[in-house]
Amino acid sequence: MKRTYIIAVLLLLSKSLSVQAADVVNGKKVVDLNCVACHQTGVMGAPKIGDTAQWTKRTEKGLTQLTKNAIDGIKSMPAKGGNSLLSDQDIKDSIAYFLSAANVKTESASQKTKDSPISSAKSTKEITPQKKKAVPQKASVASTPSKKPIKTVKSGAMKFNRLMKPPSEWNPAPFEDGIHDPDGEGAYTLQAPKEAFSQLNKASSGNRVDWMKSLDNKKIMPRYDRLDETKKPFVMDLNIVREVKGSMPDVVYPHKQHTEWLDCSNCHPDIFIPKKGANQISMASILMGEKCGVCHGKVAFPVSDCRKCHSKKKKTPFVASKNN
Amino acid sequence: MKKNNVLLAPFRTICLFICLVITLGLISPKVVHAEYGDVVINNYSEEAGMRPVVFPHWFHRIRFRCKVCHADLGFKFEAGGNKIDMLKIIDGEYCGACHNGEVAWSVENCNLCHSGKPGTTTQVHGSTVQQLVSPEKDKQNK
Repeated sequence: MKRTYIIAVLLLLSKSLSVQAADVVNGKKVVDLNCVACHQTGVMGAPKIGDTAQWTKRTEKGLTQLTKNAIDGIKSMPAKGGNSLLSDQDIKDSIAYFLSAANVKTESASQKTKDSPISSAKSTKEITPQKKKAVPQKASVASTPSKKPIKTVKSGAMKFNRLMKPPSEWNPAPFEDGIHDPDGEGAYTLQAPKEAFSQLNKASSGNRVDWMKSLDNKKIMPRYDRLDETKKPFVMDLNIVREVKGSMPDVVYPHKQHTEWLDCSNCHPDIFIPKKGANQISMASILMGEKCGVCHGKVAFPVSDCRKCHSKKKKTPFVASKNN
Repeated sequence: MKKNNVLLAPFRTICLFICLVITLGLISPKVVHAEYGDVVINNYSEEAGMRPVVFPHWFHRIRFRCKVCHADLGFKFEAGGNKIDMLKIIDGEYCGACHNGEVAWSVENCNLCHSGKPGTTTQVHGSTVQQLVSPEKDKQNK
């Protein structure tokens, strides 16, 4: 009995110790999925990928300090770049990749690549399948790195909040989204959402695109008619204020934004009776996909954006238990 | 023997805990994290030996306002609710109104629409209904 336990523990220890050296190949995967959003463009002072000067400056205090900063977060950079599911080893690997991309050599970095047989063996092994993968990707998804999700990105029960996705899971390409057959033709020929969204206004939920702003800014010009490009929508500028129970701000329903996209007949009279006070709406029914939930929470911005609808401050402040 | 047990107790707890963590990690299934608004339509596809259809809302709303499909072409606001089949499409109804080789690619590109993973059921991905009301539907697809 005792022996079994010891063997189990030894096995576990050996597994956790086996991958220690910085692995540039894994680093690239981690960076491509988690870090490029800031480090590609250099937003908010993030050192850009391949910028030797900036990365040399970052290594002045030593690799250990740099790793510590990346793990704990520094200035605008959140801890582990905002993806707490990444392991410390992933962070080390990504730093190794950043430094090699910027041609910066630190003592421990060069030592590791020279000395460690594990890392060199591993990288040669992994380079071959990656090269292979690059071929079908060329058609549509140039920037999306690898078919295989990173081993450390867990989901479901192990997540801090199962409804919140880490940035690495936003806008997946068809071959990695779980609903396209990766063996089918469509998986690699269809356009990836990220590619189409790059120029659009960003939002924090849904498709991560602010569709209304993108339309207002003419970043997109969707047709109002199947064939006639010149046909303009019939826009009706009328706000309906719905007073709500409880402490939430009242709802302002703008006809304007809705009629930019939709026809009156889409909502009236089937979903909403066009008469004041005739429609009972609750968050429960919306979450079940009725009323506003016919679109919001499916295609239009999701219900997690509470304040987009609940946007009007109440005239009289809400008192919770005046009568009770 | 008793002494031995006392020594083993914390050790055993730790081991059990580690085992539990590992099992949970292994069991937790691969999650479908499709693009928000992607609709899988599998009314007839798999029965007919084709992959399910994946309809990307995002791709279409870049090009058309909701009204074009949901008012002019008569698409109901319900995943799988339109009972679309290839006959209707070839007749120029539903998808066929544009996917005719003139406005968009023609029906000959079977695998571009029929690109879903086999066994994926009809539903809107990323929706609150999927996440809160019937999460078990989602599990089937993992």
